[in-house]
Amino acid sequence: MSYKVIVAGGGLIGTSIAYYLAKSGAEVTLIDSKDIASGTSGSCDRAIMIQSKKPGPTLDLAIKSAALYQDLEEELEVDLEYRKSGGMIIIETKEELKVIKDMVALQQKSGVDVRLISGDEARKRQPGLSEDLLASTWWEHDAEVNPLKVSFAMASAARRLGAVIKLGSPVRNLMTEKNRVIGVETSEEELYADAVVVAAGVWTPQLLKPLGVDVPIIPRQGQILVSERLPPLLRTGILSASYITNKLRKGASREAADPFGVGLAIGQTHSGSLLIGGSRQFVGYNTETNPEVTQKIGEVAVRAFPQLAKVRIIRTFTGLRPYTADAKPILGAVQGMDGIYIAAGHEGDGVALAPITGKIMAQIVCGEEPEKDMRAFSLSRFKQ
Amino acid sequence: MNDMIICRCEGVCLSEVLDAVEDGANSVPGIKKRVRVGMGYCQGRVCQPIVRDILESKLGNGTKPHLQRAQNPVRPVILGDIVR
Repeated sequence: MSYKVIVAGGGLIGTSIAYYLAKSGAEVTLIDSKDIASGTSGSCDRAIMIQSKKPGPTLDLAIKSAALYQDLEEELEVDLEYRKSGGMIIIETKEELKVIKDMVALQQKSGVDVRLISGDEARKRQPGLSEDLLASTWWEHDAEVNPLKVSFAMASAARRLGAVIKLGSPVRNLMTEKNRVIGVETSEEELYADAVVVAAGVWTPQLLKPLGVDVPIIPRQGQILVSERLPPLLRTGILSASYITNKLRKGASREAADPFGVGLAIGQTHSGSLLIGGSRQFVGYNTETNPEVTQKIGEVAVRAFPQLAKVRIIRTFTGLRPYTADAKPILGAVQGMDGIYIAAGHEGDGVALAPITGKIMAQIVCGEEPEKDMRAFSLSRFKQ
Repeated sequence: MNDMIICRCEGVCLSEVLDAVEDGANSVPGIKKRVRVGMGYCQGRVCQPIVRDILESKLGNGTKPHLQRAQNPVRPVILGDIVR
């Protein structure tokens, strides 16, 4: 009899785990309270930025994930709008230059050959960038993909491999027996399994709490503006250095200086729309858009690309990114309890890390040695 | 008849909407995320009621499907006017 696994959560992470599990022969049931990509994975941007990752375990994972993305379209037989577009982190001030210089040095040490380029070279690579731009980074291996297509393609591929997908089925409870999770209770039925993987992003803590397991994931709201369809304009993925400094930001003083955590993250979709982000705010599970944030994001966008002042905005939306205090996801078993695994907390790295997360979680859940030492991502790292 | 256009902004046909429902979409945003219906210039102002009716008839059981959330701006606005 084959190994039965339930994956709770149909976002990028859950669908990827379901796919890799089904591929390795497990009997998979993927359940979601609403639909595939109905939460965070359906309200994010499309960047597979490697150079923005913190050097260390996350960057190592991102590099492995990027390698998987290269063959994924062929493997899943779907156009994922994957494109190796290259990426830039644009630098506007001397202070930012200093921070980014240090980061680039660390990345070069980790084997990512990001380069610092002049403002002129940046404008040559990406016409339309502001004359005021001081410098930029450039890395040709950054890429982009359509996260909706990835989620749906992973789910379909899992289904072709025998996985059962149950949508509109909220998990009410994780069922336990002694120190073991034996299945889930949904609004309609009780499902039993040898293992349960919770890949419910910002909604993960609520599922684990009744077991007395504290999962320190906090929703962090990010807002994005959508433009009308435009002719091809952006050749590469672009972040502003302030996006990085906001990501790494901790102190309360900076929070006071910019409560919205605005930094530019811009890309162009296959259809021609620009996705212009973003912000980082702790506002609980609130997903209301904020006109003031729209304005601030608009300001940084127009400052970087003056011609964007003439572009029409057709929509704004927000997504809840699953934040953890050390900017690393939680991936692996739960100490002291059997049959339960967590894969959540990727914040803004979910698109980049989805394939490798699925592959490694499948290895862990099937009892194989994961291809990378995963101790840095264990839930128990927070127990101090 | 299946190739009747439902969403003119994104050029989405009835057959694609039906395929999305077949794939498991149980809400208007679910169809949108699969086939881009209502994702374009008018933001579903024209096609959403039609998509809702199609979904309602397919789901049966009298449930009212979840609609796309109305978001700012209420109509396309030039970014230069937003930041001014």
